[in-house]
Amino acid sequence: MSRGTAIYGARRLLLVLGTAFIVSSVTFLAIHALPGTAFTCEKNPAGCAHQNAVYGLNDPLFIQYRTFLWNLIHGDLGYSYINQGTQVVPLLLREAGASLLLGLFAIVVTIVVGLIIGVTAAVRQNTWLDYALSSFVVFGYSIPSFVLATFIIILTGIALPNWAGSIGWGAPEQIPIPAIALGLPYAAVVARLVRASMLDVIRQDYVRTAWAKGLSSRVIIVRHALRNALIPVITIGGPLVTAIITGSVVIETIFGIPGLGKEFVVSITTRDYGIVVGLYTFYAVLVGLANLGVDLLYPVLDPRIRYA
Amino acid sequence: MPAILEVKGLKTQFLVRGGVVRAVDGIDLRVNRGETVGIVGESGSGKSMTALSILRLVPEPGKIVEGSITFDGRDVLAMNRDELRKFRGNDVSMIFQDPMSSLNPVLKVGYQIEEAMKSHDRFSAEESKSRVPMLLRRVRIPDADRRAKEFPHQFSGGMRQRAMIAMGLSNEPDVLIADEPTTALDVTVQAQILQQLRDLNRELGTAIVLITHNMAVVANICTWVVVMYAGRVVEQGPTAEIFRSPQHPYTWSLLRSIPRIDEKLGGKLLTISGLPPDLTNLPPGCKFHPRCRFTVDRCFTEEPDLFNVGPQHESRCWVQMDNVPDPDSDLREAPVVPLEEDAGALVIAGEESAAAV
Ligand SMILES: Nc1ncnc2c1ncn2[C@@H]1O[C@H](COP(=O)(O)OP(=O)(O)OP(=O)(O)O)[C@@H](O)[C@H]1O
Ligand SMILES: [Mg+2]
Repeated sequence: MSRGTAIYGARRLLLVLGTAFIVSSVTFLAIHALPGTAFTCEKNPAGCAHQNAVYGLNDPLFIQYRTFLWNLIHGDLGYSYINQGTQVVPLLLREAGASLLLGLFAIVVTIVVGLIIGVTAAVRQNTWLDYALSSFVVFGYSIPSFVLATFIIILTGIALPNWAGSIGWGAPEQIPIPAIALGLPYAAVVARLVRASMLDVIRQDYVRTAWAKGLSSRVIIVRHALRNALIPVITIGGPLVTAIITGSVVIETIFGIPGLGKEFVVSITTRDYGIVVGLYTFYAVLVGLANLGVDLLYPVLDPRIRYA
Repeated sequence: MPAILEVKGLKTQFLVRGGVVRAVDGIDLRVNRGETVGIVGESGSGKSMTALSILRLVPEPGKIVEGSITFDGRDVLAMNRDELRKFRGNDVSMIFQDPMSSLNPVLKVGYQIEEAMKSHDRFSAEESKSRVPMLLRRVRIPDADRRAKEFPHQFSGGMRQRAMIAMGLSNEPDVLIADEPTTALDVTVQAQILQQLRDLNRELGTAIVLITHNMAVVANICTWVVVMYAGRVVEQGPTAEIFRSPQHPYTWSLLRSIPRIDEKLGGKLLTISGLPPDLTNLPPGCKFHPRCRFTVDRCFTEEPDLFNVGPQHESRCWVQMDNVPDPDSDLREAPVVPLEEDAGALVIAGEESAAAV
């Protein structure tokens, strides 16, 4: 990594922190602006008043916000209202672990399947194999992920009736099926981009030079064509990572995975303020880091790009 | 002298909507060891397709439909994938017109040269690596060790073409095909590159096939000239002979269309009127007749063979250009001598001269 890249990366990291601060503040203020609170006071007015006092919810918003900020810079988001006695940050971290693990495997599925299909279709352009793969791709990105997930569960259930891998969470063999269900639609998107980009690149003069040198087709496709073809494709890396991670909400519900997904809905309807703020801040940081990662990948793939 | 590379009756065609594009339509070509052959002809005459056919690199949907290509006694058109891979860049290598796009932008220049050697077995892996600076120095790239580690975008156009030449010669091939290697470069750089090609031909004995549409370049470098028109050879012979007495009207016009510094002021430059023929729908008879100043009747109906018009000198024309005057004078008065059919012998038939303009 060059000096320029390091400085650029550091600056972008600061930007991610700034974004996280803004996102957390906006979320904090927005969730407080919603009518209703975590504790309903009709049935148990005394308990309710007590709870509100404990969590400082009777203070003026300005005071609450100041306390929130003070705690935030210490990495503390207080306690969850719903899971009484549980601190927000450790809870979210535990759930994020499951989501990230699933997301990571889904991204591997997306990249590996997308590349293999895209490259094969391009190299065999206008053959039956290309048509078959291209049809599969259209199928892949037009089918909703919950339909695909159900479909995959049924298929594995028929093919492997005694296997525990198709539902639940906790064992290693329970990772691949939801990862495939989550990653496959995005693999179709990647495949389509890779195919188009490869078709463009294999017509370039430098690929003809590579053939004229007497290189083998494997070396030409991987080293000369694919490396160049990936440069425009990695642009979608940021949105892709974001989409996979947020897309996991549906998949986590279907497969019963104890990830962050369920918090998206539950924490808002229950007005569990700390969880909501933590969740959105976490996603903001994740998206920022994913985009930063992609931007740092450019100069690695393309020597013409340098950060000064 | 034995021919190292021989092309016979080569036809390369593109099947497109609207018909068959006859890009190369029956080419014969002979390249002797260590020789410098120039292929000239206007844009679209099939020069690049001839070159690409030799390496079997014709782009889709082009196909070699007829003819033979023989390299050192081996049938190139019969080679399987692996034989072909070993043939390319090792026995015959090629450099292209546009040095800006011919090198891979994401790989180091030195690596791209090294890789050309590693993919063949003339040099070991270590030799392939250690030869790179030497090869770059040989094409006069200064500071070769450092330059080898740079990427193509850090090279100027001239340097990239030198690097391409270094790469093309890295496996010491018998033949180097250079397809308009200097067209994209400015004039001073052009001269240096051409000079270098000539020097390398002398030093290494590599035969060079130089494709160009510039007659002056041919005069400088090549000992043998092949003139192409509409996918066929219309004239060929030793350079000096062709320049002294061009026999085909097309060659004649080409030579008349270059300004010459030694010519008296006020001399007119000729342009060749009309357009190149439509390769999907070639005219009957001689393919050049619609643009020719010297047609006789049979030019419209019958295509001439390549006739012997001098020692080693052949021309595909029914008329002999020997006595064609200066273009300054009225062309209508040009005494044109039709050739009789028998064996290409020159029969003077002055009274029949029918120069249609
Ligand atoms: N992909 C293609 N489809 C159809 N016709 C083609 C294709 N590629 C080349 N041709 C035809 O082949 C003919 C010969 O092309 P070629 O590139 O050999 O010409 P050239 O003599 O090298 O010209 P230039 O001086 O412009 O490089 C052209 O007239 C062109 O129309
Ligand atoms: Mg050309």
